[in-house]
Amino acid sequence: MRTCGLKPAVFNRETLALTSSNLPNVADLPRGYELPAAYFRLGADNVRRYLEAVEDHSSVYGQGPNGPAWVPPLAVAALALHAILEQVRLPAGALHAGQEVDFRCPVSVGAFMRSRARVAQRSEMRGAVVSVIEFEVGEDGSSTPAVVGRATVIAPRGEAPS
Amino acid sequence: MSAEGVPGVPPLSRRVTQEGIRRYAEASGDYNPIHVDEEYARTTPFGGTIAHGMLVLAYLSEMMAAAFGDDWLAGGRLKVRFRAPARPGDTLTARAETRRARLPDGQARQVSDDRVLEYGIECCNQRGEALVSGTAEVVVGRSR
Repeated sequence: MRTCGLKPAVFNRETLALTSSNLPNVADLPRGYELPAAYFRLGADNVRRYLEAVEDHSSVYGQGPNGPAWVPPLAVAALALHAILEQVRLPAGALHAGQEVDFRCPVSVGAFMRSRARVAQRSEMRGAVVSVIEFEVGEDGSSTPAVVGRATVIAPRGEAPS
Repeated sequence: MSAEGVPGVPPLSRRVTQEGIRRYAEASGDYNPIHVDEEYARTTPFGGTIAHGMLVLAYLSEMMAAAFGDDWLAGGRLKVRFRAPARPGDTLTARAETRRARLPDGQARQVSDDRVLEYGIECCNQRGEALVSGTAEVVVGRSR
């Protein structure tokens, strides 16, 4: 299988610690806003829990010493989105309205990932804000993204940006 | 339906349960109460809990991965709209309809055996309502 030629991952990076009270409301983020890089690990336990949750028992992901060798590509996207959206406040009523994902290369189980995201589009419609958050995620230390995507989030209009 | 040169993709069915939604919340870290708090969810316009959109999308990705294996893991693309929520008790069916084969992006003529297979995809509930719909593409070829 074609891979991104990545080296073994490093696991001791600290993640950003934020509390919900000081997070910006996603609806207030202007177009072009770049979210801080987010880091997360795709360990064997994470992958096993994910595969059990989606009831995916296929052998497509190969066999490693502790389970699958490769991370299901949508798990990479889902966990990256979670890491990204942990850095914003999603107001009650916010909806995930659309999703694009592009799987560029496989990610090995155990990898430490880095994701980057920015608000690519923002528009307002009938009291709601439609934000398109563009993201890319790859193994930490690699310049090649493994998964890129765009998530469309619709949220009630928040307070005016300061 | 099968467009010329584009292989068919077998459909996939899954039943949505509240326990499955809870497991997905645990796996993804997304504990939004609309998914896991039945009391709260009853007070929303949905009237009850709903499955995560990415859980439903996972069924579509699994269907494509089963059909294309490594090519999907390193050359798959999904573009969808979440049109309606999946609820506990729903039986979902993911399907792909063949569309066409084309050259990879940026190639005006054939320079390798690579080609992009395009599908229309949807995930419907037991009433035939499309909850998620869009397109899937996968790059296949001997240079992969």
